[in-house]
Amino acid sequence: MNELSAINVISKRNFKPRWVAPTLREIKRRKDVEDDRNGGPKIFHRSTFLEWLNYDAEIFAFSNRLGEKFNEATLRTALTHKSYVERETARLSDIGVDSYLQIQNNEELAVAGGALISKFTNGYLRAVFTRVPEELIMAMHDFLTSTSNLEIVGKHIGLGDLMLCSDFPCESETYVKSLKAVVAALAESSGEERARIFVQDLVVTQLYGLDINELWNPADPVGNLTDILKREGKAEPEFRLIKHSGQNSVLAVYYVGVYSDKNFIAEGAGESLEIAKEMAAREALKQLFHTEDSMKALPFGRQLKNIQSKIVQLENQPNLPLSKWISEKVTSAVH
Amino acid sequence: MSNKHLFLPSGFIRTPLQNGLGRYIPQLQRITLKFCKNHGGSRGVRDFIETDLMEFAKTNPGTVVYLKPRRHRYPCMVAEYLNGEREYLSCHEFSRAEIQKWLSYMCTRSGIPVMRFRKYQHTDYPSIQGVWNPFTHQAPEINVAQFPHEILSKPVNNGPTATDQLIEIFKKTQIKDPVKPEH
Repeated sequence: MNELSAINVISKRNFKPRWVAPTLREIKRRKDVEDDRNGGPKIFHRSTFLEWLNYDAEIFAFSNRLGEKFNEATLRTALTHKSYVERETARLSDIGVDSYLQIQNNEELAVAGGALISKFTNGYLRAVFTRVPEELIMAMHDFLTSTSNLEIVGKHIGLGDLMLCSDFPCESETYVKSLKAVVAALAESSGEERARIFVQDLVVTQLYGLDINELWNPADPVGNLTDILKREGKAEPEFRLIKHSGQNSVLAVYYVGVYSDKNFIAEGAGESLEIAKEMAAREALKQLFHTEDSMKALPFGRQLKNIQSKIVQLENQPNLPLSKWISEKVTSAVH
Repeated sequence: MSNKHLFLPSGFIRTPLQNGLGRYIPQLQRITLKFCKNHGGSRGVRDFIETDLMEFAKTNPGTVVYLKPRRHRYPCMVAEYLNGEREYLSCHEFSRAEIQKWLSYMCTRSGIPVMRFRKYQHTDYPSIQGVWNPFTHQAPEINVAQFPHEILSKPVNNGPTATDQLIEIFKKTQIKDPVKPEH
């Protein structure tokens, strides 16, 4: 049986005989040599350890940890993977017991849960970023529902030890499927509203600290800005050089400002005139969409109480695309 | 007092998965109490299990408590956190109250290893109006000015010099010419 060895020890004063430290050092050195030869230390699933977890207790703790009430059968189904069911049937038939296992797997729940997560994320983004074009909303949605993001969320709520799957160490896809199935199970057990709050609390909060302008930028900001100003009936954007320094050096910087009918809109800086012009157009668009660096902080958790109804309303209502964007048609977010 | 000789890593305060931003999830996944049923050093653990353990389990329903009696071995507790970290603590000769305190310590931690906090706050946006650069607050007139310029070539916020001040004082002390009487 394998034994768990803890890494972090809360140390106390300890007088050991002289030979203990050198012996342990030599054992560790030999172990490291073996591990390097085998390409990394061997890892085992928690079930192989002497103190194996009590699955019922772990399920109970899982739902309490999240503060949600699950229908236990649905939750167990959500954590069972097809590969596990196949492996168990194969194992039983190998022994000779030819019973057809009645365990359900989480394929359908995962599909339903994926749709729910997508819907709830879109609702939040459209309610909070009311002035943003649909392309940026889609970029943020794709990031939040990406495999890497959902895998991190799944790992940190303790799904790793609860999932019944045949692959170990579990792949990202398995974690993502389990998380989606859990969301669907929650919607079934406690209702869609609780599932919405769950997704807002766990998936959407990963937007915190992220620079959304890194996720998406318009391909032709100058053209887009010209179109928008034309649609609004304002004058064409005029780009003027405001400041420059170090022109013939490696560290040249140019500041270009965008003006519409002699009114200053935004300025951008760059290493060359073309770059600075593009940055200025980007800054102007950011100001129109209210996504500047100094934009308001995003609301999470309890701060969403007042806009929940708006979120529900906007779940199926996409924002304006960039080709049709105009300030009169968008409202500023109040949160 | 440098950081080079310390084995304690240092960093900024952080939390796994933005815990607390949406909802608070207690990070302690499971705790295993290992003790001997007979030996004296496990007495505190045994007393704790008989009296306070049920209340602890009820107040922390998100944590699974495992009890592992091991003969002729000293008592200890191993805490496992949601981010995969594990903490070991020897409970030999602990009293019931000590075990209670250490257990509550384990409950309130995230799994992030103990580190020296450089600062007790952290922000991803240290500047809202934008970091200062030499162009901030510069008059736009410098772009089309011909130097040497009357105003822009002179230093800004130059108060009156000492010579100017003395001249002012002298002027104030001057007796003004008396008004000539009309004849």
